[in-house]
Formats: sequence, structure tokens, C-alpha cells
Amino acid sequence: MPNPTDAVRLSAPEPALGVGVRLSRFAHRNARFLFPAPAAITVALIIIYPVLYTGWMSLQEWFASSLTLPKFIALANYQQILTGDPRFREAFFRTLYFTFLAVSVETILGVAMALLFNREFWGRGLVRTLSILPMMATPTAIALVFVMMYHPTLGVMNYLVSLTGLAPFKWTYSSRTALYALALVDVWEWTPLIMLIALAGLAALPREPYESALIDGATDLQSFWYITLPLLRPTIIVAILFRAIDSLKTFDIIFVMTQGGPSNASETINILLFTQAFSYFNMGYASSMAVALFAIVMGASLILMKVRRVGW
Amino acid sequence: MKQRRQPAVGSRGMTRREILRLGAAVTAGAAAGPFVLRYAGAADAFSWRRFAGQSIFIQFTKNPWSDTMEKLLPDFEKQTGIKVEFSDLPEIQARQKLTVEFTAGSGGIDVWYTSLHVEKRRFWKSGWYADLGKFLKDPTMTSPEYDWNDMAGGAKQAVTQPDGSISGLPAFVDPWILFYRKDLFQQKGLKPPRTLADMEGFAQKFHNPPSLYGFVARGLKNANAPAWDWVLFSLGGNFLTKDGKASIQTPEAIKSMDWYAGMLRRFAPPGVVNFNWYECSAAFMQGQVAMYYDGVNFASQFEDKEKSKIAGKVGYAVLPAGPGGHFSPIFSNAVAISAQSKRQGPAYFFAQWATSKQSAIKELLAGVGSARTSVWNDPEVKAKAKMPVDWSQAYVDSLKIGRLGLPEIVGVTEYRDIIGVAIQKAIEGAKSAEVLAQAQKEFQEVLDKTEK
Repeated sequence: MPNPTDAVRLSAPEPALGVGVRLSRFAHRNARFLFPAPAAITVALIIIYPVLYTGWMSLQEWFASSLTLPKFIALANYQQILTGDPRFREAFFRTLYFTFLAVSVETILGVAMALLFNREFWGRGLVRTLSILPMMATPTAIALVFVMMYHPTLGVMNYLVSLTGLAPFKWTYSSRTALYALALVDVWEWTPLIMLIALAGLAALPREPYESALIDGATDLQSFWYITLPLLRPTIIVAILFRAIDSLKTFDIIFVMTQGGPSNASETINILLFTQAFSYFNMGYASSMAVALFAIVMGASLILMKVRRVGW
Repeated sequence: MKQRRQPAVGSRGMTRREILRLGAAVTAGAAAGPFVLRYAGAADAFSWRRFAGQSIFIQFTKNPWSDTMEKLLPDFEKQTGIKVEFSDLPEIQARQKLTVEFTAGSGGIDVWYTSLHVEKRRFWKSGWYADLGKFLKDPTMTSPEYDWNDMAGGAKQAVTQPDGSISGLPAFVDPWILFYRKDLFQQKGLKPPRTLADMEGFAQKFHNPPSLYGFVARGLKNANAPAWDWVLFSLGGNFLTKDGKASIQTPEAIKSMDWYAGMLRRFAPPGVVNFNWYECSAAFMQGQVAMYYDGVNFASQFEDKEKSKIAGKVGYAVLPAGPGGHFSPIFSNAVAISAQSKRQGPAYFFAQWATSKQSAIKELLAGVGSARTSVWNDPEVKAKAKMPVDWSQAYVDSLKIGRLGLPEIVGVTEYRDIIGVAIQKAIEGAKSAEVLAQAQKEFQEVLDKTEK
């Protein structure tokens, strides 16, 4: 859209212009570029540049060193990831499995809690507040507390288990149970997030469909199944999307609690790439894993977005 | 004006010009004198105050040696006038930080505490160690009292690289010894085990869960590697062949895996598969375990009555022998200086101060061993030692049968992870031959990639 002042100036150009005037006219004309520029430059520096650099590094072989420079090896790292590295393959399926476990339990529990807390009852506000507290705590601190709780001989979890008459578990201290024990921590911490989002969705639902269903003689279960769930679906999917992205790249609790062990039983892609980068200093290979993880998270998000739009 | 021409002093006397010249020379000499002297001092003699007013940054890793050294830092600052800033991280995190800082070339770290058994080859190949040989030879930089030859032979060897450069000043050599419950052994009339077979038999005798477990050692991957290496040596094996190929699938290796994983599976507290030295020590200090072996320097906490329920009840002995020989795995730690540091002078002053005889004696009084041979017989140490006599005895005797506990290769961490996973799988019941076949393959791949 032409600037009215520009139009005036164009029709009657001043003979001599000072630097200041020219500068201000330049700024005026290009305001739409100048104002977002600081933000754009910041984003480019701290987001786009590292992403591109990681992509570039993923094509090199380089063990962090001040003497030998990175060596360009094209796609060899990706070939290794796809065909030659069983440890990555295991980590890949483990990551998916962990995400599936954690997010499905969180969704069921979260939606159930939302339905419960959507009802009117005495002390609802207090219970709601209490139930979102896990989300507020620092994951690393939570992980350290759970390390103590999971201790096979000194921890409180096995005490609780023994009260029910079951044999004690080894929790994170056995390769068979470690991943489940970690998923449990994730569930404990993040179920409230799904609950919050689902509660917001429930509050926005219209009342009319329920009234007509009631008149038509639908049971509570029927109105939940045929009205609440379909109307709530887009909200739930957004919640799942948030949680899935986060779970796929879980790092903190695993790193603090097991560092990927015992054996490699809880080593997800993120832990593996961290080990490659900062224990083996295999920077190029670690970068290619980072790119792969990025692709996986992207792919999962796209699928979920698609599901949101399609009917079932 | 003839009189003025007459000689005033001596036979000829001085001309006015000569007097003026002399005066100027004296004045100049008086003004320049201190500088000349100071310069001469720097050239000929060592002075601890040489770098007064400068400052350095030290990266420590968490361990008893560093804990003691941090408390001594004010003495260093007072003696040298060098200001010290430091940070203190667990070993693995510290190494990650060092790698990032050195790769970026930030120059922010002047001195660090280097675990040679992990970092020696990789950091050297990356060009991160300053060569301290030139400082050691320079009498203006190294105090005449330093006495390099007092360092144990193994320690000197450990800081020396294949090209002859010296990558650090030895802080301490850490042999592994056996910790056992003196009181329980006395009750049963037993002496510390002398062979692997004894050790297994005793573990069986004491094992009475959940009140007492027969034995504990590291189960956590990576950390467990040196503990297993010792069994491997004792049964006649080695991790590398003479020409540097992976050698962890031999009959000796399989036997040692059966032994080590079996001991942990049968006699250690539940969850041992994820125990590092910290959890092992905690279980031992809680009085839950009869025998435990690990680095000698973890012992000082056992005698700390506030932390340990078994203070005064711990016996210390050299590790038992096996059919393949009698060994103690040793690990060397040193104070290193960054090749990127712009303050290598004051940094070197700290390194030599921290590894001097006086500091070694203070460390020893705090229950931390030393790479210096002379300090063990120091009268003050003998009179005021915090640790029992059998501890020092086990320490000195273990140094005599010391053998590098980890391979001197670039990929030490990879080796530790690979064998570590194999050990964990074996503890959880997998067949030794199978896990070692896998480990052998992976280890050779690492060697092929990193040792070329």
C-alpha cells in the first residue's frame, strides 16, 4: 500500500536532502522489515544457525579435537544409523515404546481426572490445585526423589508393594523393569497436563446436545461415548501431540535415574546421542542422530495433526 | 683559573665532564638497580611470588583428593599471591564440560584434574595437554625442593605420553584394595582371603540376607569395567593382545565373567546391577556387606563416624591372588594444564604446589594416598595418620603389584561401556560366552575406528 506522505513527497521533491531526512525516509519505507529485524536475527542466530550447523556436522566424521579437522563423509553416518547400528535401532523402538506407554496411560488417566473434576463437588478447587502440583516441580529434582523411592532395599516403593503382599520389584535397578519404572515417573509428572487441557475442552462444550440426549433417553455412558468423546477429540489430540513430542525427546529423568541402563535397557535416542557426543566425542555421528530424532518427532506430529482433521 | 685545572683526586684527577658522567651513571644505576636485581632474581632463582597478582581457573572433579585440596587453596593464595577460582563437578560431567570448553577453544580453564586412565590418549591426540616437561627442566619455574624423582615410577610413566611429553604432575596413584569387616571376620576366626577361591567361599559364609550380604562391587556399566579387569588379570587374561587387538572372548575372559557376575548375582544386595562406587560404599557403610573392593581412596569415608556405621570395624588388605597372578589394578590422576591457557606460568605454579611434598603430606593426613614415595615414611604422617596402619600397608603393597586397570587407548569410555553392558547382562543371567562374543565384536570395531 503506497504511503500517503511518500505520494506527497514524490509529487513535490525537495531539492536538497540531509542525511537525517534520507535515513528517516528509508526507515519509513522499510519499516515492515526493520521492526521485525532484531527478532528475526535473534531467531536466525540461536535457532536456524544451530539447526543448519547440526545438519552440516551430520555429514562429517569428527571426534572433538583441536588437532584433526572434521572429515566430510557425505551420508555415511545416516547409512550407519539405518543399517549398521543395532544400538540405534534398539533405542529407536525403545523410544517409541516409552512414548506409547507413557502417553497412552497419561491420556486415559488425564481425561478421566478431567471428567471427575468437571463435576461440582465440595473441595473441587483444592483437589484440582493439588493434582497439578507434580507438573510444577523440576524434573531433575523429581527424578532424584524417585531414585531414592525406587531403591530396592531402602526405598519406600517396595515398602508399599510389600503392604499389598506382592514380591518386591527392582524398579530402575533391573533391565526388565527400568523402562516401565521410568514411564511411571513420566506418567506421575505429566498426567496433570492432559487433565488441564481436557478440562478446558470440557468447559467449552455446548449443553444442548446433552439435553436432547437426556430427553431421548440416553444413558450417562451413551452420552459420554457419543457426545462427550467426539466433541472432545480435537482437544485430546492436541494434548497427545504436546505430550508425544515431549516424551519422544525425554532426557532429564532418564539421564538422572538410569543414564540409559541397566545394560542399555532404558537408552532412548536422546540418551544415546548424548553418549555419542559427550562420552565418545563422536560429534558427527551424534549430529546425524539428532537430525534423525528431529525427523521422528516431526513425523509423529504430522501424523497426529492429520488424525485431528480426519473423522473416524 | 689554573687551580681548577689542578688534580683534585689521585694523580690525574677528574675533568668536569668526567664527574658529570660519573654522576649520571650513579643516578641511573641507583634508579635501575632494583630492576636489574629483580631481573637477575627471575633468571637465576625460583620464587613462589613470581606470578603474584595473577589469577587462574581450576576445574576439579569430585573426589577425596580434590575435597582436601580445595580446603588448602587459601594457603596457596597466601604463599604465591595468585588468585584461584575453581569449579567442582562429578567426574563424568567435568569431562563433558572440559571437552566442550577445549573444543570451542575458550581458554577459560587453566588447570584441571585429569583422570589419565580415561583421558590420557584422547586428550593428548586432541592437543589439549600442555607439555610440562619444559617447566620441570626450568629451575626458575620449578622449586628446587620439588624432587620429581620422588614420584613413584608407575606415576611418572602414567603422565608420560608416547612422544615423551609430560601431560600432568601426578596427584595420586589409586590402587584397588579389599575392604572387609574386621569384626565379622574375627567372629568367624577368618583372615582376609588370599585367593579368589577363598573370597568366593567367605562370601558364601557371610551371606545372610537381608541383614548381611557376602560381597559387593560395582555393577553399573562403565564403572564396573576396572573391577572386572582385575578378575580378568587374576585369571590370566588381558583386554588387549600384544599387537593391540581386542581379546575379551578368551577362555580366561569367559571364566572371569562367570566369576564376577556370579559373585554379584549370588552375594550382592539386590539392584547391584546399577551400583556405582557410591551405592557400594553406602551399602558397606550401612553395615550391609561383609567384603567390598574398590579404589583405596574411597576408604577415608568408612572411618568417618558421622557417615559410617562401621567406623573402626573395617579391615584393609591387598586384593587376593588368582591362578593367573597377583595384581592390583591402578589408576593415575594428575594435575594438568590446558594447552590453550594463556596463564600457564601461574597454572604450573599451582600444579607443582598441589603435588609438592608438603601438600602430599597434608593429603595423606586427611586419608588420601599419594604418588610420592617419600611421604609415607614422614614422621608426622606416621604419628597423626587418620587411617589405620593396615590401610597404608595395603596401599604400599598394592602399588608394588600395580597394573594399569584400563587399556591405554583413545576409546577407553567405549571399552568401559561395551564391557560394562556385557557385565550387566551377565549379572542378570545371560551366558558369559554370548555377551562376550558381542562385546568382542563391538570392542574391535571401536579399536579399528579410533586407533588408526
